[in-house]
Amino acid sequence: MTETILRVKDLTTRIGTGEAAVDAVNDISFEVSRGETLALVGESGCGKSITALSVMRLLPAAVHIVQGDIVLKGQSLLQLPEARMREVRGSAISMIFQEPMTSLNPVMTIGRQISEALRLHQNAARDSLNKRVVELLDAVRIPEPQRRVSEYPHQLSGGMKQRVMIAIAMAATPELLIADEPTTALDVTIQASVLKLLRDLQRDIGMAMLFITHDLGVVAEMADRVAVMRGGEIVEQSARDEFFSKPRHPYSRDLFNSVPTLGKRGHRLAVVGDDTGPLDAVVSPLHSRESGDPELLLRVKNLKVYFPIQKGLFKRTVGYIKAVDGVSIDLPTGRTLALVGESGSGKTTVGKGILQLIRPTQGSVEFANEELTHLNSAELRKRRSGIQVVFQDPFSSMNPRMRVTDIIEEGMKAQGTERDAAKRKQRTMLLLEQVGLRPEHALRYPHEFSGGQRQRICIARALAVNPRLIICDEPTSALDVSVQAQILNLLQDLQQRMGLTYLFITHNISVVAYLAHEVAVMYQGRIVEHGNVERVLNNPEHEYTRSLLAAVPHVPELQSL
Amino acid sequence: MIVPLLDIKLGLLLTDALIFLLLIFTVAFAIYVSRTPHLRSQWAHVLHNRAGMISMVVLSFYLVMGLLDSIHFYPKVESGEGKVVYSVQLDSVLDKILAPIRIAVEKTYSAPFATNLYAKETVTVDGVETRIYPRLKHGGSHLDDPENEKSADILSHTLQGAFKGTLVWLLLAVLLVIILAYRNKVSLSQIISSLMRGKSVTPWRSALFTLALVVLLIGVCAELSVYYHVFGTDKVGEDVLYQSLKSIRTGLVIGTLTTLVMLPFAILLGIMAGYFRGWIDDLIQYLYTTLNSIPSVLLIAASILMLQVYMTNNADQFNNLTQRADLRLLFLCLILGVTSWTGLCRLLRGETFKLREADYIQAATAFGVGHFTIILRHILPNVMHIVLITVVLDFSGLVLAEAVLSYIEIGVDPTTNSWGNMINSARLEMAREPIVWWSLAAAFLFMFVLVLFANLFSDAVRDAFDPRLQGSQ
Repeated sequence: MTETILRVKDLTTRIGTGEAAVDAVNDISFEVSRGETLALVGESGCGKSITALSVMRLLPAAVHIVQGDIVLKGQSLLQLPEARMREVRGSAISMIFQEPMTSLNPVMTIGRQISEALRLHQNAARDSLNKRVVELLDAVRIPEPQRRVSEYPHQLSGGMKQRVMIAIAMAATPELLIADEPTTALDVTIQASVLKLLRDLQRDIGMAMLFITHDLGVVAEMADRVAVMRGGEIVEQSARDEFFSKPRHPYSRDLFNSVPTLGKRGHRLAVVGDDTGPLDAVVSPLHSRESGDPELLLRVKNLKVYFPIQKGLFKRTVGYIKAVDGVSIDLPTGRTLALVGESGSGKTTVGKGILQLIRPTQGSVEFANEELTHLNSAELRKRRSGIQVVFQDPFSSMNPRMRVTDIIEEGMKAQGTERDAAKRKQRTMLLLEQVGLRPEHALRYPHEFSGGQRQRICIARALAVNPRLIICDEPTSALDVSVQAQILNLLQDLQQRMGLTYLFITHNISVVAYLAHEVAVMYQGRIVEHGNVERVLNNPEHEYTRSLLAAVPHVPELQSL
Repeated sequence: MIVPLLDIKLGLLLTDALIFLLLIFTVAFAIYVSRTPHLRSQWAHVLHNRAGMISMVVLSFYLVMGLLDSIHFYPKVESGEGKVVYSVQLDSVLDKILAPIRIAVEKTYSAPFATNLYAKETVTVDGVETRIYPRLKHGGSHLDDPENEKSADILSHTLQGAFKGTLVWLLLAVLLVIILAYRNKVSLSQIISSLMRGKSVTPWRSALFTLALVVLLIGVCAELSVYYHVFGTDKVGEDVLYQSLKSIRTGLVIGTLTTLVMLPFAILLGIMAGYFRGWIDDLIQYLYTTLNSIPSVLLIAASILMLQVYMTNNADQFNNLTQRADLRLLFLCLILGVTSWTGLCRLLRGETFKLREADYIQAATAFGVGHFTIILRHILPNVMHIVLITVVLDFSGLVLAEAVLSYIEIGVDPTTNSWGNMINSARLEMAREPIVWWSLAAAFLFMFVLVLFANLFSDAVRDAFDPRLQGSQ
């Protein structure tokens, strides 16, 4: 039996006081042993981050522990005075956070930031300190550590920054590492290497790891044991293999079923606590569409979007950033094309180029047999209703000072599709019903809704002008997996009933596998591979596609339910 | 215009006209808000906010004073031949109300509640020349033996004033209760009990408490100022309380009209620069950088001097001193407005820069919504909180700037009552021994209360309009 590093017993953490108090963490117990990884899985708001902060005793002012005990190697952390606790943080327990961009101080070199962490816990001479910094950078697999020591955070990529964060966390060789969604903000290929790094370090040092994540694929790769949290409680705790072969709790099973996969194509995804059934209402298109063979709706030929780099007083153009460099797409009516790529590959710029939100530098965008790139802004404005867009961030995609009804009606007013105010109202109600919201939601403001509900409103807004093509720019990547399932179900229903065409921009391979008919893989502004989903995912031809697919954490599919 | 019943001729100053125009706009906006459900629910948040309600009560006192001081007329003068003759001197309604303390002019300085002058004078008593502090003509002149009677007299007048104030307050409170009961259609006792326990949605209890304080203070001051100089007198023996009250209008005019001049520049140019970018942005940036690099004091001095020259050359256009002083005040507002829009403009440019990249602006563009509508519907409401906060902060800054400009004699006309002029004249007396502190203290007190409650009010308004905060309330 290995030594138990962390033991949490009957922990209850409460937000607020008095009647308005909420138990964010409710009576949970777990243990982590040396060399073991416990994955804490759950959706946003389930209390997993509060659990981590409780262990670190770094809770915000309004949150406090009301019951339970946290024991680190026989020492109860809750009894320690703050001065002693500060020694524990960083030396015995370290933590890495989700956002590497904001976790590092932008005005200090990374060498100094690491040596600062070292100095706090060791009295070492400057020379040996520098040597140790380089060792640490080397240990987290940063190439040319000697040179990197004197660089600033902005000179590093996101993955590198997260490695630096890990180096800082490792500086004092902690007994316990708490990783709070350490790879959520990273691309899949970088995620794969960071996960591997964490596994290697754990094997070398033999530390215990509390790994917090919402991604079942990551859990499958990292965990020895799994604890599933929901509503502040741990509903299931079991060994990894057992969890993935036979999840006991119904919530765990729902989580599995709501993950989109190739195998679930054509079926509705299971959703957790969905209060909306299948679609009852369907808004009929304003003008009827001829049915028949799928015609070509969108043809993009050799699209190029360059951003000029300007210098000097007179803004002389000294070069270009080639965000999109010769992309061609054919998209027939009623189909879904997924545009896959990592951040910075130019996939969002392609979407904006098609929408003419950014005027392309070169190339043609033909929509319904009409060239868009040559239109002037007045002509373009009249044709705006054909293509609509749903954005990634449900929180910034609606004007916070407008009511839902005004948001949805805006497009109808601008396009003049519905001139009568009463009819507009009627159509708004129908649209709300169609996306699974209730009529009384119309008079509320966006901040009163959850992320998933907001995304539904955005879809209703796009549908209001009766578009034929909807460009979905990562519409589910800010959402929990069960909410993602609801939105994917909705998009699929709408496509079947209204014959919509989607250009689905995403980095999430499992969503592609579930939803798309065709897939185009983008890399550095170009499409490197294009084809039928099953063909590309099963037999990737391009090398980049292969490495991308290999990096995706794989969720073992349940054999029987 | 002659009002027959009151025997007065109305006179309208330029700033009066603008103030009433602003008032009409405000009332029209209030009516519009009360008819638009969602705007009304937002403004209701201001009413439901305790600090907002309290500051509204205090600010309304200033507002009433300022408005009373903005209704000007030429009083009738008696003429021997039965002809109606009007004075060339403009008076305001406030002057009429404050007439008792306005005409109670002493010889020179006297301390608050003093019965004797602050300076010694040589008088001949029984043929012997002695230097004494002579009795005041008005302050405490009803007392025979000031030294022994004064404190008892002050106390009794304070109590009388407080009693009258309480009566007025009770009247207002009863009126409020009746109105509330009528509007909510519940019994009077229910309303009273909910008010007493502070259970009403609108914090009427706090408002009534503040109102009680304000009314009590007014009552006591009004009662005492008939017999004493509550804030003393200044160098020429004018009552300092009267000066402070007259200065309210100057402060409000500088604070509001300047903002009125500044806002169009700042909002239009700031949003245009941030939204259109490119050469428009360059142009506007160069414009405000250039303007910013000219010391504003120089600009103000130059334009005020130009105005002086104009007024000297066209002296016949002005009937009286008040009109001249008023033109100078208006001109000061204009020039202050022209020099002070750059800060807000820069803030708005930056915010618009950020907003125009927001997804909802992109979505609106994808709907084919025009530039003008996007600015009006999406950008303007989302920068309004910045405008609101800047305006109120500027308001206090402008009231203070007036004081600074008066100091170097390029502020308002020396004949205009203003806190700046009061401080400026008190400045020299600070070095005097014994010190003359009351002019400064009175100006400071009135300015401080105005600026403090204006800030509290703006906080309440901002909170009410921030949708993210509404959820937490």
